[in-house]
Amino acid sequence: MNQGNKLLNVEKLNVCYGKLAVVFDVSVNINAGEVVFLVGRNGAGKTTLLRTIAGFLQPASGEIEFNGKNLNKTGAYKTARMGLKYIHQDKQVFGDLTIRENLELSSYATKDYDWDPVFKMFPKLNTIIERKAGNLSGGEKQMLLIAMAMIGKPALVMLDEPTEGLAPHVIKDLAAIFKEISRTTTLFIVEQNLPLIASIADRVYCMKEGKVVNEITTREQISSMHFEQYL
Amino acid sequence: MKLKNLEFLGPVFIIAGLLVSRYLFPNKITFFTEISIYTIYVMGNNILMGYMGYTSFGQPFYLSCGAYSAAIYLAYIGGNVFVAIFVAFLVGLLLSFILGPSLMRLKGSYFTLINASLCAIGVFMFERLLIDITNGNDGLWYRSNMHKTPLLDIRMPQNYFFFILIVLLAALYLYRKIDRSALGTVLKAASTNPRKMRFLGYNVFRIRWMAFTISVVFSTIAGALYSVNFGFVNPSLGENSRAIEVLLATLIGGIGTVYGPFFGALGFLGMKDFVSSFLSRWEFVVGIMTLIVLFKFNRGLWGMIQDAGSFLADTGRKFKNNSVKTAEK
Amino acid sequence: METWFTAVIYGLSTSGILFLVSLALSIGYGLMRIVNMEAMLYYSFGAYVTYSIVSMTGSFILGAIGATVIGGILGFVVETTLLRKVYHRNMMFTMVVTFSVFMIGIGVIQFIYGLDPKPLASPTSAIIRFMNVQIPLYRLIIIGLAVVAYILIQLLMNKTITGKALRAGIENRENVEGLGVNINRIFTTTFVIASAFAGLGGALNAPLVMVGPYMGFDMLLTAFITVILGGLGSIKGTMVAALILGQVVSVGGTIWAPLAFVGPFIVMFITILIRPTGLYGVKGTAFGFND
Ligand SMILES: Nc1ncnc2c1ncn2[C@@H]1O[C@H](COP(=O)(O)OP(=O)(O)O)[C@@H](O)[C@H]1O
Ligand SMILES: [Mg+2]
Repeated sequence: MNQGNKLLNVEKLNVCYGKLAVVFDVSVNINAGEVVFLVGRNGAGKTTLLRTIAGFLQPASGEIEFNGKNLNKTGAYKTARMGLKYIHQDKQVFGDLTIRENLELSSYATKDYDWDPVFKMFPKLNTIIERKAGNLSGGEKQMLLIAMAMIGKPALVMLDEPTEGLAPHVIKDLAAIFKEISRTTTLFIVEQNLPLIASIADRVYCMKEGKVVNEITTREQISSMHFEQYL
Repeated sequence: MKLKNLEFLGPVFIIAGLLVSRYLFPNKITFFTEISIYTIYVMGNNILMGYMGYTSFGQPFYLSCGAYSAAIYLAYIGGNVFVAIFVAFLVGLLLSFILGPSLMRLKGSYFTLINASLCAIGVFMFERLLIDITNGNDGLWYRSNMHKTPLLDIRMPQNYFFFILIVLLAALYLYRKIDRSALGTVLKAASTNPRKMRFLGYNVFRIRWMAFTISVVFSTIAGALYSVNFGFVNPSLGENSRAIEVLLATLIGGIGTVYGPFFGALGFLGMKDFVSSFLSRWEFVVGIMTLIVLFKFNRGLWGMIQDAGSFLADTGRKFKNNSVKTAEK
Repeated sequence: METWFTAVIYGLSTSGILFLVSLALSIGYGLMRIVNMEAMLYYSFGAYVTYSIVSMTGSFILGAIGATVIGGILGFVVETTLLRKVYHRNMMFTMVVTFSVFMIGIGVIQFIYGLDPKPLASPTSAIIRFMNVQIPLYRLIIIGLAVVAYILIQLLMNKTITGKALRAGIENRENVEGLGVNINRIFTTTFVIASAFAGLGGALNAPLVMVGPYMGFDMLLTAFITVILGGLGSIKGTMVAALILGQVVSVGGTIWAPLAFVGPFIVMFITILIRPTGLYGVKGTAFGFND
């Protein structure tokens, strides 16, 4: 992995729902190998920002560049194929399909995929692989979603509040998993869980009312939870 | 102040317009009669479509129920046209009394399809089940059974036109009143957010049922007027394929407004009159028109007139302001 | 006894055609959340194309193939040019739009073929004798083809990756896209298959009814009742509902003639009252009762 390269570059992004503007002049850049967090209160526009980057929403203005390619008009499925995966906030797996089918589905779109590392990371999934995904617990669903995102060896994974509603011990497991993933993959995570952020963040962006109001770059400030005020 | 008074006279303007046109184009009298009747029919649909957000693919059913109840009364029971129209009114009440409770609980798409089914059942009923009474596809003729009415013998087309105008005037004022009453407001609010309205203490179901009743009664009365106009009715009046006509007329006029239905009937029948003089593929034109109106023209004729009006008013005001400013200088 | 047996077989063939034709509606709703009234055009055009090809070549098989192809092509054109533009609009809007397209199609049919119904002879008059009962072979062919169609579509849905993507897309369109799957292409493919089946249904029904401009209207409501009874978006449901309605029409009509027409409507009213989501429908569809 070439550390330090600019992987994602968002420049002065504005996003609206109809006439309602919710993201204002947001600039974010993420370098290869980093673990970057995005914090902010509910309604700050975090999900909107991620969904726009992922191609589900069209920006009103601004630039999104990924790996040197402009993503402004790229649809969601193409963005995903280029190696930028987004895991929704709602933890929806395809409940009607089995775990295996869920994984097959996410392999389907990528030529270069590998199941073994994923099973190494989540051995449990392999043991219950024929189970319907709809019956999994919240934590297991999140694991499956991460597995599905990781299967195509993406360059960047964006996660939207992955620990929301999960039990403390599951969050601890997830923290370990993020650390593990971050050795091969860049992460951009929306999160409210302070200890988790403090333990693995390289940088933290703080959003408030649709704007990025602060960027915290030093380890001291991160581990002292300097960003708490934005939550 | 002035504008307010003018608004109150809206229905009178419409009636006056029809009257003047009738004398300008004396051989088009049946056309103007038809527009007036169709306006009432469109008003009925507009309550569902514009105020309640329900699209019914079965309006011809209510129309033909009204037409047949008047026709059956006049053919077999009595000769008084007014009573026949009143019978259609009662049938409308009865229909909405029976159908309202279930229909008004349905979601939009079910409502649409159930009405389409009613329409098919209606045609089946008038064409085959009741063939001994309705003569099936041959239609029911009863013009000779209609008695002379006192004051104004409405068997004469020119007199019938006046009678229709009076009915239309009454209908327009009633409609205007409904639009401005709490009922109109509540209906519109309930179509976008029924839960909230319920929360505010409105019995949404009852209000909808009431509106549905008004809509059905408008349709059955229009049906009766239509059938009396010709002294004849046949099952094709209630055909499914004609369901879109009234939807289109409503859309052309502009949905959810008081005067939209009149302009819709005018625009639709005018277009039909014009098109059918050189094209017999009516469905094709109706389909294309509906798409155009839906995608490009969704405020309708009345919306356009209002826009033009407010544009004129705006420019007028600006002009006035400007002249005041220049005067100050 | 023989009468009843014949009625059941005739009913099964009706079910076969109903299934083929209703699939486009069922899938249209299941995938795109759209009530696509224009689906009956594929059926009508299928019947007319069969009529044309049979008059030109004399071959019903060619006619049926032509109908299937035309159904698919029409489905492709309508889905890619129109339906895609109205997915996100509300249900009422799309219903009026697709109904308009239906009307336009009827106009086109009238323009090409005129108003008079076209008769089409049955491709085979062979009769199969089975325990004193005579059954036209043609009816059995229809039943056979419908069964094949059902198996094919079930295989497509459950065994292929396209089918899995489709089922996932029905649950959550965005998430499938997020995996990198071009869901539009999968929807189009499926829709084209369903439209082709509707065209085939038109071909198969052509010798049994008069081929007329309004034949789609006659089928529209019955097809809708099939889909509502089966539960929108469920292929198994559509099949079971088609089976039930075929018997209602055929056996019911034998008991009392008007039931052949009114029976399906009665079934629909009962369904709506007792189980608005249909036999296999999922909760929370646009069909049902207001909250
Ligand atoms: N689909 C939508 N339509 C209109 N407004 C929306 C939509 N989704 C979110 N919003 C609004 O945009 C703002 C930002 O929402 P969101 O991006 O979900 O915030 P966050 O993820 O930070 O909680 C909120 O005010 C929300 O109400
Ligand atoms: Mg969010």
